[in-house]
Amino acid sequence: MTEYFIRRVLQSILVLFLITLITFGLIHAAPGGPTKIFLAPGLSQEAAKIQAHNLGLDQPVAVQYIKWVGGLLKGDLGYTFKNHLPVGQILWPTVGNTVVLMGVAWLLSLLIAVPWGIYNSTKEYGLSDQTASFVSYVGFAMPTFWFGILLQEMFALNLDWLPLSDMWTMGKEGNIGNLFMHLILPVTVLTLGFLAAYSKYARSSMLEVLEQDYIRTARAKGVKERRVIFRHALRNALIPIITVLGLDLPILVGGAALTESVFNWPGMGRLFIDMAVAREYSVLMAITLITAVVVIIGNLIADILYAVVDPRVQLGKGGRSA
Amino acid sequence: MSANLNNDIAPGGQPSVQPQREDVQPTAPLKKPPGPWMTVWKKFSRNVYAMTGLVVVLIFVIAAILAPLLAPYEPSHIDLMFANLPAGTDNHLLGTDELGRDIFSRLLYSSRISLLVGFAVAAASVIIGSLIGSLAGYFGGWLDTIFMRFVDVMNSIPLLFLNILVLAIFGSKVSYMIMILIFTSWMSVARLVRGTFLQLRETQYVEAAKAIGVSSWGIIFRHLLRNASFPIIVNATLMVGGAILSESALSYLGLGVQEPDTSWGKMLSNAQEFMLIDPIQAVYPGLCIFIVVLAVNFVGDGIRDALDPRQKAMVSRRRLKQWRKDYSK
Repeated sequence: MTEYFIRRVLQSILVLFLITLITFGLIHAAPGGPTKIFLAPGLSQEAAKIQAHNLGLDQPVAVQYIKWVGGLLKGDLGYTFKNHLPVGQILWPTVGNTVVLMGVAWLLSLLIAVPWGIYNSTKEYGLSDQTASFVSYVGFAMPTFWFGILLQEMFALNLDWLPLSDMWTMGKEGNIGNLFMHLILPVTVLTLGFLAAYSKYARSSMLEVLEQDYIRTARAKGVKERRVIFRHALRNALIPIITVLGLDLPILVGGAALTESVFNWPGMGRLFIDMAVAREYSVLMAITLITAVVVIIGNLIADILYAVVDPRVQLGKGGRSA
Repeated sequence: MSANLNNDIAPGGQPSVQPQREDVQPTAPLKKPPGPWMTVWKKFSRNVYAMTGLVVVLIFVIAAILAPLLAPYEPSHIDLMFANLPAGTDNHLLGTDELGRDIFSRLLYSSRISLLVGFAVAAASVIIGSLIGSLAGYFGGWLDTIFMRFVDVMNSIPLLFLNILVLAIFGSKVSYMIMILIFTSWMSVARLVRGTFLQLRETQYVEAAKAIGVSSWGIIFRHLLRNASFPIIVNATLMVGGAILSESALSYLGLGVQEPDTSWGKMLSNAQEFMLIDPIQAVYPGLCIFIVVLAVNFVGDGIRDALDPRQKAMVSRRRLKQWRKDYSK
């Protein structure tokens, strides 16, 4: 167990290192290099040189990379090129906002999807099951941003029940009720997407378990159906769901970017899009890195939970190399 | 054949009566049993959803190909005098947008780019993914290790971010968008092919092929890849829908298709700006994306169901349930 844990952590660090290389490499692969993009176009030769020196752009790429990684290890994410603000100052508040939005949507969809999927697995092809399958088809085919726009038109413009966008109404920052009203539409959009996937996972995972021999044994010895479902089947069915949750993390963060952009939510995803258009590479690198760290840690936790929940999984023997 | 046997004379026996030979016609050579493609098609064509999806996709593809003939107006023709016309006025089937461009024509031309991106990305990802997956799965070793670590890296970055990053750095062009979407979507095919190869490379027919000296490439292309082809097709079909969605998302964010070209995502981002004036404009392009992706997904699921031998059992289980219910009445 400890050996496996250490190996997984080392692997994660390697992946993280590769990600820093790729993001940094991408930005320096831009036509003309970063120098051309960062500097104001009308600058004279000397002024450009001085500014490039101030930004550290005249150093060799390898030195810049080492400096950047060194800064990261100390928690320094660098500075923006335009106003020379510390990246952290821009970034951290948006991280919190994204966590609020995603956390609510994610928890809500899990709370709906898992019990629903379990119920559907006991009543295959019933009305509820058909509905779930319809919802998941819609959820997979609907462009999230289009759904968002439709909801805005319906509930914000036509009916005027809910605010159109943003996180707070002006002057009401910090008011929980106000936040709640602003959360409803984006959370609905996100929840539909998650629901589509998770209820399907929960159902198929349950169905697989319900076919096992030990379930038949339990039924044969006269265990009540409810106890079979909750005690015998559910605990085993949850295991694959945990892995899926870990693997889905990047989709969670990426999907939020679109929703945040539609609803003008001041989150990390929207910041990424804005900064991509403005070509603020230090912010982009920081966001990519933070999400990668979150995803890697999420996967690590999922893997370890998997081992803890399921005693059949033998770690450290190379059993799960794929 | 059995009729033949009965009428034949036992060895050594004397025929008292000339056996009345019925008009046994020489049996026609047995028809070749239907191949796997035919079997799958038979099952597929019985699936209503899948067939509907197929027809819808074909309609969209034909409309996209014939767009110059079908479109009543030039899609980028600006006429501010006739901006935001409601549907049906002045021969504008679906009205005009904020610059007076005919929405129906724009939808038709948009479908060209959206479908092009969808199919091109799926096709190229399948080719690249199969190649990498078969190399990793067949040869294993360091090749496999490098491949797996790379997939790990790709799975740790939100792919939408990667797409945005690359398009922001290199500029927004349809060709760039197709390339980056290929780069971010070949992994699932590669994983699938690798997994299948890991299973299949231990089978006896591969061993036999090796024993008679078939080259590695021969084994990969003739024996292994063919056996993996059906799941790959399913994956590719579902990938078309994903690519169309990604394209529309990137164009919606302003990083994909640029003026004067148009795509459904781009039309949506324009429509959102003018939501207060003419909300119905946001409906059409989104509906197109939704219908196409839904249709493609139906086709993909139809193929998967047709391939799944368990599917039959599931239907019969359902019947069994019904039967039990009826029986207990």
